[in-house]
Amino acid sequence: MLDAAPQTGRRKLVEVAGLKMYFPITAGIFRTKVGDVKAVDNVSFDIYEGETLGLVGESGCGKSTCGRVILRLYDPTAGSIRIDGREIAASAQSDLRTMRPTMQMVFQDPQASLNPRMTVAAIIGEPLEEHTNLSKAEKLARIYELMDQVGLNRNFANRYPHEFSGGQRQRIGIARALALNPKFIVCDEPIAALDVSIQAQVVNLLEELQDRLGLTYLFISHDLSMVRHIADRVAVMYLGQIAELAPRDDLYATPLHPYTQALLSAVPEPDPDVETERGRIILTGDVPSPANPPEGCNFCTRCPKVMEICKTVEPAFREVAPGRFTACHLYDDTKTTAGVTAAYEASKSIQQGV
Amino acid sequence: MPDGAMPVLDVKGLKTVFRTRGGEVHAVNSVSFDLKPGELLGVVGESGSGKSVTMMSLIGLLPSPPADVRDGQVLFGGEDLLKCSQEHLREVRGADIGFIFQDPMTSLNPVFTVGFQIMEPLRKHMGMDKPTARKRARELLELVGIPDAARRLNDYPHQFSGGMRQRVMIAIALACDPKVLIADEPTTALDVTIQAQILELVRDLRQKLGMAIVWITHDLGVIAGIADRVIVMYGGQIVEQAPAKELFHNPRHPYTRALLKTIPSVRGQRAEKLNVIEGQPPILTEAPTACAFRRRCPHAFERCERENPLRRPVGPGHDAACFWNPETGAAHA
Repeated sequence: MLDAAPQTGRRKLVEVAGLKMYFPITAGIFRTKVGDVKAVDNVSFDIYEGETLGLVGESGCGKSTCGRVILRLYDPTAGSIRIDGREIAASAQSDLRTMRPTMQMVFQDPQASLNPRMTVAAIIGEPLEEHTNLSKAEKLARIYELMDQVGLNRNFANRYPHEFSGGQRQRIGIARALALNPKFIVCDEPIAALDVSIQAQVVNLLEELQDRLGLTYLFISHDLSMVRHIADRVAVMYLGQIAELAPRDDLYATPLHPYTQALLSAVPEPDPDVETERGRIILTGDVPSPANPPEGCNFCTRCPKVMEICKTVEPAFREVAPGRFTACHLYDDTKTTAGVTAAYEASKSIQQGV
Repeated sequence: MPDGAMPVLDVKGLKTVFRTRGGEVHAVNSVSFDLKPGELLGVVGESGSGKSVTMMSLIGLLPSPPADVRDGQVLFGGEDLLKCSQEHLREVRGADIGFIFQDPMTSLNPVFTVGFQIMEPLRKHMGMDKPTARKRARELLELVGIPDAARRLNDYPHQFSGGMRQRVMIAIALACDPKVLIADEPTTALDVTIQAQILELVRDLRQKLGMAIVWITHDLGVIAGIADRVIVMYGGQIVEQAPAKELFHNPRHPYTRALLKTIPSVRGQRAEKLNVIEGQPPILTEAPTACAFRRRCPHAFERCERENPLRRPVGPGHDAACFWNPETGAAHA
């Protein structure tokens, strides 16, 4: 389908280059700066028009911060963000405002992201109020249209968020994000707060809307199996950096970075036969603090395949095979696709040897 | 595990209701199950299906009012826990039945050291003096894989990471060598790589200590990896019960069947479109006179509206509460 994205001449809708988001750590009564939490540290990727880029990682790896900073909900420390051809990393808030209809967000917690004192119609209609000059009747028509699109009953337009279940609340959040016909939506863990049987409903809705409206998604999640379902390409983040970025099928079939390998291995399979048979990579220790990341490769403290070079030299994030990017010294010498496969096989045998 | 062995825990017809201003909520309805020695029993269900409330009711952890454990029997060590005094229950809870909760941050006391909190049950229930308890606490921390255990006894919970805190919780639950360990979503708040560590630890501890475990979760993947036997809960009732392999390969209840199809996999075939269970979970304010799943069930027929199906045996050690027979595609005779 869209797997061969990089080769085709499809348009890049979102281009992120060298993005950094540091939060200052202050101490003492004068709040002097004593360090930085490097939440996002030199991240670069593109999102093609109409595709879904999955952004996965564990809590604290910076994936949500990354999603927020791309929409300029934070002011980035450094780097460039181009959305639909316009640079927004440094533009003024007043200019950003004209851009807002293009880029929207669906939040994790539908309970916290909807104002409990506003009716559903008011919530979905607020962006229309702010950004359009529609008449009252036109606005209501649009609100009904949006409610139909996300599968909410029109008769509930005057109800309040607390009267809805979690899955329905998430639909309200999605309708609000769609109100201004955006091109790009950041979905920040949109299903994490929902029950398994409801998750599938929301994911199917997001996919349907994408097909119908030609949307582009950045889908942030810690659920690797759901990302495999929805994403065309997947980026794996660890401690503020992207460890690996690849087309979905490649990433799940032959993960290159040792962190991706460990992460995939940690996901339990709902099948007792597979679970008793399969080998596991169990990482030791915890994620280091992003205020004080290790020298060299940021994964070197937990990596089962760590080498001497990893502790001193930071690996470059580069393309090791067409469309496959990774930041790992294991692939330093590989320049061809065949080389990558060989290196992957070699890394697999190391794994099984352990 | 030896079949037919005397169960360590035997729950019969447990019924818990919550009295609220909006009427009574039937959170747990005639739940019966047993736990054999050394077995790991998985309990799966969505939020609100009654899995946690069941476990809390049987060891008297629910505040009353609003909770009212109305009916049933919980046989443990030859006595009915529902008839015990609070003092006696407290003895049982610390010493014979260990509990691990979902959130390791809120279940540890932030103002006491980890060492103090592990030593507390040892001194209360086992009557150990301070030096003995401290020595045992150190052993326990080593057992659950915390490095530099002697020094970490003096640390406070906030100095531990999420995974380490859950290890501490496990150490506390294991302190008095319980016969039964009840773990309520113990890995839900953790990241997958940390979850993998904890699951590995539990597999290891089972071999070393051999206690019976009840493991509550909504994650079928976790269950597949560790459980011997599984019960599936929906709308405050057990809808299916089977050995783990049997449940995953031959699910009988429409809810279990649908649930297994909605979850995507990171391995194996990738589905083009996810299967969904339409509709919402039931609100439990109405008395359970009909099947709780009928409104979302593709096979529901008129009888499901009229009558609440009882669990009927469908295979060796396998039962399901449903009128519909997946083999014939028609109702049970």
